[in-house]
Amino acid sequence: MEKELMALRDAATQELVQANDLSSLNELRVKYLGKKGSLTAILRGLGGLSPEERPRIGQVVNEIREEMERLLAEKTEELKAVELSRRLASERIDVTLPGRRPEMGHLHPLTKTLDIIKDTFMRMGFEIVGGPEVERDFYNFEALGLPKNHPARDMQDSFYITEEILLRTHTSPVQVRTMLAHPPNHPIRVIAPGKVYRRDYDATHAPMFQQVEGLVVDKGITLGDLKGTLELFVQEVFGKDVKMRMRPSFFPFTEPSAEVDISCVMCSGKGCRVCKGTGWLEILGSGMVHPRVLEGGNYDTAVVSGFAFGMGVERIAMLLYGIDDLRLFFDNDLRFLRQF
Amino acid sequence: MRASIKWLKDYVDFAISPEELAERMTMAGVPVENIEYLGQGIENVVTGKIIEALPHPNADRLTVCKVDIGRETLTIVTGANNISTGKVVPVALVGAKLPSGMDIGKAVFRGVESFGMLCSAEELNLDAKILPPEVREGIMLLPDDTPLGQDIRSVLGLDDVVLEFELTPNRADCFSMLGLAREVAVLTGGTVKKPMLNLREAGEGKAASYAAITIEEKSRCARFCARILTDVKVGPSPAWLQHRIQAAGMRPINNVVDVTNFVMLEMGQPMHAYDYNLLSRHTIIVRRANPREPLTTLDGVKRELNSDMLVIADAVQAVGVAGVMGGLATEVTGSTSTVLLEAASFDGFSVRKTSRTLGLRSEASSRFERGVDVRNITRALDRAAKLLEDMGACKVVPGIIDNYPCLELPQQVNFTAKWINDYLGTEIPQAVMIDILRRLEFDVEVQGEKITVTVPSWRGDVSLPADISEEIARIYGFNNIPATTPSGRVTRGGQSTVQSLIDEIKRVLAGAGLSEILSFSFAHPSIFDKLNIPADSELRQAIEIMNPITDDFPLLRTTLLGSVMETVVRNLSRKNDDMKIFEIGSVYLAKQLPLDDLPAEPVIVCGAMTGKRQVLSWNTSRDLVDFYDAKGTVELVLERLGITGYEVTPGERHSYHPGKTAVFAKDGDVLAVVGEVHPKVLDAFAINKKVYAFEMTIDTLAKHAAGISRYQPLPKFPAVSRDLAVVLPEKTAAKQVVETIRQSGGALLADFKIFDVYTGEQVAPGMKSLAFALTFRAERTLTDEEVDVSVKQIINRLEQEHSAKIRI
Repeated sequence: MEKELMALRDAATQELVQANDLSSLNELRVKYLGKKGSLTAILRGLGGLSPEERPRIGQVVNEIREEMERLLAEKTEELKAVELSRRLASERIDVTLPGRRPEMGHLHPLTKTLDIIKDTFMRMGFEIVGGPEVERDFYNFEALGLPKNHPARDMQDSFYITEEILLRTHTSPVQVRTMLAHPPNHPIRVIAPGKVYRRDYDATHAPMFQQVEGLVVDKGITLGDLKGTLELFVQEVFGKDVKMRMRPSFFPFTEPSAEVDISCVMCSGKGCRVCKGTGWLEILGSGMVHPRVLEGGNYDTAVVSGFAFGMGVERIAMLLYGIDDLRLFFDNDLRFLRQF
Repeated sequence: MRASIKWLKDYVDFAISPEELAERMTMAGVPVENIEYLGQGIENVVTGKIIEALPHPNADRLTVCKVDIGRETLTIVTGANNISTGKVVPVALVGAKLPSGMDIGKAVFRGVESFGMLCSAEELNLDAKILPPEVREGIMLLPDDTPLGQDIRSVLGLDDVVLEFELTPNRADCFSMLGLAREVAVLTGGTVKKPMLNLREAGEGKAASYAAITIEEKSRCARFCARILTDVKVGPSPAWLQHRIQAAGMRPINNVVDVTNFVMLEMGQPMHAYDYNLLSRHTIIVRRANPREPLTTLDGVKRELNSDMLVIADAVQAVGVAGVMGGLATEVTGSTSTVLLEAASFDGFSVRKTSRTLGLRSEASSRFERGVDVRNITRALDRAAKLLEDMGACKVVPGIIDNYPCLELPQQVNFTAKWINDYLGTEIPQAVMIDILRRLEFDVEVQGEKITVTVPSWRGDVSLPADISEEIARIYGFNNIPATTPSGRVTRGGQSTVQSLIDEIKRVLAGAGLSEILSFSFAHPSIFDKLNIPADSELRQAIEIMNPITDDFPLLRTTLLGSVMETVVRNLSRKNDDMKIFEIGSVYLAKQLPLDDLPAEPVIVCGAMTGKRQVLSWNTSRDLVDFYDAKGTVELVLERLGITGYEVTPGERHSYHPGKTAVFAKDGDVLAVVGEVHPKVLDAFAINKKVYAFEMTIDTLAKHAAGISRYQPLPKFPAVSRDLAVVLPEKTAAKQVVETIRQSGGALLADFKIFDVYTGEQVAPGMKSLAFALTFRAERTLTDEEVDVSVKQIINRLEQEHSAKIRI
């Protein structure tokens, strides 16, 4: 009996080892351990054995059965792993082919730049306001201290519609309009982005471009406040390492007036083609609001003071993105637009 | 304004380099644009006298010269033909360098050794503009008495550095060497040396008896002064004077003219010299020009004046355009013996207008435009007279003819140091402020806290405490002012809802695959025909620009579609075949033409798409965009803005295909127009593929946009889905069928979508099949029987109203 059992065990082990797919494994399970399997048959036949032999043989049979089940489980795992890796191998694709990309549109680089500028000032508590592009000579020039035939009008060659109406040459008319829209001496902290127009068209001038005007009016506003505000702006937009300097200058609507330079973002101030070797880039004009402009807005210069600034969005965008030709902004070539 | 460093040093001593000076001046508001190093690149070029000039034995065109350069005599072969024995010329020695980069070496010309080169003005990089015509061509001939062997740079005044100032319009005072010297002195701690004005006045009689001066236009001529010079000997100026004028970028003419220019450059006061004997009746009248009065100006151009212009006239005719340019007829020439020297002040606005009208700008006009110092006029006359007297070029008649109708009082400004510090955000001591102002030659009086300054006559730009604060700040140094941030109450930052809406639309459209463009607000009149806009359309009432740059852009646009279509064309021409683009910008609609009020500037969103729907790749569809891509984009925008309950109807717009245009409307407002661009428009733009476009007006969208959308609770019970396909006449609009389903579906019908539209073999001709996915839901679990009842209702209504048949 025991010999028989050992032979059975050896045969079954042999077959299990040789099995190479899950279905033949299953057949082996049925053949030996199934209801009609040979080991089951022996187990059933235990009744015919003597009471002495029965427990001993029974134990042997159980041991064989446990071993076989263990082997079966092992073999099943092994074959499953083989099968899975075979399947995975057959499912291989060329991952170097390009992916299927959802198409995104692109915002114009000037929109992106303006968003950065707007964001920076909004976080400083500035409100965003606007004004008409077709403007009265009065708001564009006269209220800002530029009567007709003033030599400073040469700085801004204008497109006229009539003798009294023109395309605004800067966003500064919004200064007076904003003050007139508030009760006298009401605190103001605004920026006014918008399109402006000048009669110039070449690689560095466009007949239409965008400016951002800034105006802060309140009690006790100082030139130092202007400097601090612009320093914050410059660092937010161009980075903490960029230095800023103010140079005295002249605008009819500010006094004192200052041009603002930043250390060249291309060469870190060492001097290059972009900064013409000076290490500095002019980025905006600014100053303390001229008393006659405040008066034109019905504000009392004995009570309040203010500062104003104006910057070209194209200029900032060119520096941020390293764009060297202004005309690209208005050419709208998709090969250009898709880079942003 | 060009300022020679050597010349500046005639008036103020300073030890800093030109670069350092340029930096300090720039940071004090007197900006230097450029530093020019005269004579740069010239080495080993000396003066030499030609002592023999013989034809070359083997070459017709060459001359062999013996040149005395002081220490030795050189043999030099030249091809020039304007030289002769005795002439003094620039000689580039062996080893010399020229500005062009040329190195001079020993050379052999047809067997004759040459030890150097004779130079032309051009080879020395001299600007022809500042040279007399006779020395521009050929070898540069120097005065015969020029010492030999001298470095050419010192002989020609090229051992100098010139600062080019880009002056702001307010600083008229810096338009002169003395004005700049004053700034230099303040910034370097020096003192200004003013020229001596002690005249001998050896002429006969009194100036006043020589000529009569009348000012008819007192408002435009504040002062007119003259001196009389007799026994005038007109000739070339001394070299030092020529060099000064040349360094400033002007050309020497003769001693009299050069002195007037020199004094203008030195003191900022333009002057003019008349040949006294050619002034009819020795009379000067400052008057308006007669209508169409002719005058030939010094530049030889015959001009026609108008009665707005101010002229200087004698008893008979105009002899000069006041403040702009003198007349040719009375100019000083070699035969002049008596001179009337003019120095005056003319109104800046008037001069500017005249010079613009005539298209004639001069050194004089640019100074008058900024304004001259009325109190400086007689000093300038004295200075010019003294220079000519010292040269032995004339006798000066005693006295000045001075016509000064309205004396201007000096400007005074009152302020306190505290006010200045409060304005600048500084803590500058009062003593420092006073010191700065006194160095700038302001007269300062202090009474306790109160400071009163008298503004120097040359600072017409200073009249307010704010102006004083700038003077103090720019000398104290803007960079020494502490940076602070505005104090005061907290302000509400942010932007208006319309601005936020525009930002949101940009984000939605970019997210939907459209790229933003930005085009000029201008338009050409041909755009209206191209867009198929009828002759009587209001869109043709575009605002005209009086002075466009070119004929390309004479109008302001009334439609964005034109700009967008032009962008489509431009991209197609560059083989950017597939595009989805949009622009958000203003159009300009006049209430009435010609414009008497500001126009409306509504902001428009306009988009266009053409070409493939998807970016070309190995696994994407090659389908082209169609009407429904454009329409879907509009639907998406409206959805994101929370605009619902609008009606979409077929519409007709001139620029769009009449059968493929939809109008979105709500409460009588047009929210959007979307359609295929009309084939005629495509033809006019020479586009040979279909383009779909849409237009929306921001204000209308803003009017209907919902604020923050409220959250809807998620359904607690499962939905039941049913598909339904019906066959109905092809002309029935989907919208009508949708409406019927919505009405007949009852409370249980939660949602439905059209998932298929079919015409073709499977359905009868003239019919189409529409397939709907219906979703039923309630606040409980629905039974099939309940849903069947609803579906049956829908089918019945579709059969009744649209003759629909269920498709199985």
